[in-house]
Amino acid sequence: MLAEAGTAVLAGGMLAATLSTLLWLRTALFGGSSRPARFATTATLAAAVAGCALLEWALLRHDFSVRFVAENGGRDVPLYYTVTGLWAGLEGSLLLWLLIHCGYTWWLSRYAHRHPPRLHAYAMVVVSAAGTFFFALTHFAANPFGEVFPVPPDGPGPNPLLQQHPAMGLHPPLLYAGYIGLVVPFGFAVAALITGRTAHDWARIVRPWTLFAWAALTAGIGLGAWWSYTVLGWGGYWVWDPVENASLLPWLTATAFLHTSFGRSAARPTWNVLLACASFALVLLGTFLTRSGAVASVHAFTDSPLGPMLLGAVLLAVVVPTVLFGLRGGTRPARGRTAALSTGTALLANAVILLTVTAMVLIGTVFPLLSDALGGPRTAVGPAYYHRTAVPLAVVLLLVMGVAPVLRSAGRGAYRRLAVPAGAALATVAAAGTLSRPGLPALAAFAAAAFVLTGLAGQFARRVRRRPRAAGLGGLLAHAGIAVVALGVAGSAAYSDSVERELRVGETLRLSATSVRLVEIRRDADPGVMSVDARLRLVTAAGHERTASPTLRYYPGRDTAVTVPEVVSDPLRDSYVTLIAVAADSTSATVRLAVNPLVGLLWAGGLLTTAAGVVAMAGAVRRRPGVRRPPDRRTAVDAAPAERTPV
Amino acid sequence: MTGRALVSLLRRPAPVLALLMTAVLGIVLAVGLHRAAGSAPDAAAGAAPGAPAPALAGPTLDGGHFDLADGRGRVVLVNVFASWCGPCRRELPLLVDVSQRWSAQGVQLVGINVKDGTAAVRALLAETGAESMTVLPDPDGTLAVGWGARGVPETFVVDRDGRIVDRRRGEVTRQWLEQRVGPLLTG
Amino acid sequence: MNRRRALGAAVLVLLTVAAGVALFRSAAAGDDPARSIAAGLRCPSCQGESVADSSSPVAAAMRQVVADQLAQGRSPDEIRHWFTERYGDDVLADPPLSGPGVLLWAVPALVLLGSGYAAVRTLRPAGRRTGVPVGPAGGPGRRTAWRLGAVGLVAMVGAVAFGAAQVGRPAGDGGPPDPAAVAVLLARDLEQQGRYADAARMYRQALETRPDVDVRLRLAFTLVRAGAPADAEQEARRLLAGTPDLPDALLVLGLAQRETSPDRAPETLRRFLDVAPGHPAAGEVRRLLAPDG
Repeated sequence: MLAEAGTAVLAGGMLAATLSTLLWLRTALFGGSSRPARFATTATLAAAVAGCALLEWALLRHDFSVRFVAENGGRDVPLYYTVTGLWAGLEGSLLLWLLIHCGYTWWLSRYAHRHPPRLHAYAMVVVSAAGTFFFALTHFAANPFGEVFPVPPDGPGPNPLLQQHPAMGLHPPLLYAGYIGLVVPFGFAVAALITGRTAHDWARIVRPWTLFAWAALTAGIGLGAWWSYTVLGWGGYWVWDPVENASLLPWLTATAFLHTSFGRSAARPTWNVLLACASFALVLLGTFLTRSGAVASVHAFTDSPLGPMLLGAVLLAVVVPTVLFGLRGGTRPARGRTAALSTGTALLANAVILLTVTAMVLIGTVFPLLSDALGGPRTAVGPAYYHRTAVPLAVVLLLVMGVAPVLRSAGRGAYRRLAVPAGAALATVAAAGTLSRPGLPALAAFAAAAFVLTGLAGQFARRVRRRPRAAGLGGLLAHAGIAVVALGVAGSAAYSDSVERELRVGETLRLSATSVRLVEIRRDADPGVMSVDARLRLVTAAGHERTASPTLRYYPGRDTAVTVPEVVSDPLRDSYVTLIAVAADSTSATVRLAVNPLVGLLWAGGLLTTAAGVVAMAGAVRRRPGVRRPPDRRTAVDAAPAERTPV
Repeated sequence: MTGRALVSLLRRPAPVLALLMTAVLGIVLAVGLHRAAGSAPDAAAGAAPGAPAPALAGPTLDGGHFDLADGRGRVVLVNVFASWCGPCRRELPLLVDVSQRWSAQGVQLVGINVKDGTAAVRALLAETGAESMTVLPDPDGTLAVGWGARGVPETFVVDRDGRIVDRRRGEVTRQWLEQRVGPLLTG
Repeated sequence: MNRRRALGAAVLVLLTVAAGVALFRSAAAGDDPARSIAAGLRCPSCQGESVADSSSPVAAAMRQVVADQLAQGRSPDEIRHWFTERYGDDVLADPPLSGPGVLLWAVPALVLLGSGYAAVRTLRPAGRRTGVPVGPAGGPGRRTAWRLGAVGLVAMVGAVAFGAAQVGRPAGDGGPPDPAAVAVLLARDLEQQGRYADAARMYRQALETRPDVDVRLRLAFTLVRAGAPADAEQEARRLLAGTPDLPDALLVLGLAQRETSPDRAPETLRRFLDVAPGHPAAGEVRRLLAPDG
């Protein structure tokens, strides 16, 4: 029953999406009212909402006749993880994807009267066509509403890794909001190519949208790192795993886009178009890489028939803008030379570096496929490669970030403003290098971060004395956030330490000033999960004493074990206790104790960067170009009267 | 009209280059995807079948001494296991049963007991009726690493000439044992 | 003013010297060889972690091996070779800088050069190029565009539908999200809990999507245990229809027949013994047959 209704809703959504694409195309080509098109867009959103609601309902009712529920639901699963189970499997997460996509499309359609009409209509065509593709994909290739007969009595529950932390409810939706939001700049970039307005205001129109998507993506990536740090129990937060890389790639290009389209965006039309298109193409590529099983990963949903179709979408998203670009040509504004040292230079240098990092991460991620196709071994690229390549570039990027503000006010005295930040950077190196031996990369990162942060502090002080503007403030905050993240990454990489040993009950494990004593081992067998937790008395380096109980959980339904660590955070460091193994007679346990300094900076920096995105968005919304509402909305579809065709 | 568009497209090298690269990347990814669907992830194991078995010698759990080199002429099942591993506990009775049935034909079961307590292994062996099994304690796991084991359980079949015939990661099945060990018994 | 500037310069110079000393100290500290070897090895039982960072038991053992071999005086290269002999080339975290590995460095370098060149061109345009007309002049007519757009959209949806129909079929060897695999896993659990009837139902369900000999065998054995020998017999016969002398199928058929038609069971079981005398269950079967024969 429910399954049939769900399939019908998906089919209806696919039709509505097709219809809305065609209606927007009609509006774009022949003019006329956009009301039918907007109506169709609303209907598409309704279908996506209904689809999600139906699947959620099936999950909550434990309706195991629905295939997705039979594969990802379970009677013993707590309510919260039943609800989030919607995005614990491939098909359901595509449904969430659709919901967010349709939400964006609908939201965008409501701005028809505030944007240049033909540009807006073409952008809607692109965005709706992408929606149609995802509806078709869900309906034909990954329908969660397949029927299962005979109906199984119970399901295995969601993947255990996805049942450990409340962040599961937030991480995927945020990440998807970031990914899919990038379809808006993509749509407008393609529309600008079609209408020949690449050097016009499209980049300013999409700025708030891009900032929103970027902030969501930043939050999603940060939350994902935090989640893997606090749940997966291996003590790290980033392993350059294909899924992580897939989220980083569009973030890098979107960041570059936000920079090239900053200020006088008309000065860099080709860059804007390229970066906006690349961001969404990379979203699709990442989805292809991680969902098709082509590159193995911890997070990857296994083999699915989606591969070829997603690959097709990636190619389409690259080929269409490229051909349009070739046909239309980039508009090259005839202007004089830009000064060698100017904000424009810094923005482009930033774009060049970010593109290079993107290329590294991309080639590293697809390397197993490339190597395989060229007859080499199908080996994944380890973190060492990224550390060697991306870390130096990140340091250079930070330096550019620190120098850039000075370039704006290109007076002769401006460079003297760099003296204090440079002094701070040198002092940091001297202090850190003398007091400890963090290694060269960490020292360089410390220096660069100190350089940026000191410079920003000075800039902030000057700014406060004058009149603060939200948009500029967002940029300052974002830079500060990134510098803080850099400090956290370098510090935790340089100073982390760990020990691991088998402890009998009552024994103590020490790591410099931190220690844990094993108090007792408890076993629990709930339905669906067997767990062992060790109660330990933890004394942190700051002298605080408290109980820590890291857990080992085994899920028989999926034959998977999960190690849940206990993390105790001080302002300066985290004490990280993991239970590795427990003796069968519960008299001893293997415990790993790690002390990770400065990890807190990572989360603080991520939060700051996300907040900066939101602040900047608020500023960009307020400064949105005032395209006046045309007097007659029925006929005013394009500014050029000669192109108007009676409907 | 389209002709002119084509000419204008060709006059710009960058987009054409981008299209070419896209095509190449697309082909590579498609090939990769095709292979990914076809090949099992397990195929890329080290210590290829047919390679001579690494050395395996040392004191046994019951105080004796074992050396694989002395076992030439016998078929040896080397099982990397630990009492704290569920699948190991599950498969052990099967391994013991099979090796006992075929012991007349010269099959021996040797366990490498990784990172385990003596009492815990003894308890497991008693529980599964495997007291007769030759067990080499491997407290720090180095013996298992010497065999290229990737985890527990893992089982190697060594033929009468001391060559690794096959290996299996994870729980063994009766069928797998029959297929791998059966042919070696006749020779 | 001038004195202030001189003082500032002096402070900067002093800091530079101090920083230089600190840098030199850090660089001179050198690397722990055990750690650098372990960092260059990939943990075989984890995803994306190096042996140095992983907390898995295998990685700990591998670190121990590295330390042991260093203590024996082996060189890092010898140790790496020792590991590749056992774990294959995959165990090295970095792909070698030959063959496809060159791409890892060449592609980013090309992107850096290409985008750097483009950036320079953006900053210093080399005069206006005689150009391509901008705007809608060169595009196809509106009607053509409309038709093209509509056809393209329908083609896209059609391609997805067709692709799904083509590709969707053979997707059979996936992990847990593959319904058949999930069903088999569930069934195995149920079997262990002694819920044979439920387990049999799950096996049946798995068979619907993937008719697999192993799964059918398990189904047949489960049916015998669930007290449905007639069904088990039917499944066994279906198997034998495919492979006439499949030992396990003969075995389960014989076991089922002991319930349904005890007179024919010994014959089937003897055939089983003929086909597979070395079968692990053979001893048991001989004992079963002994009173009769």
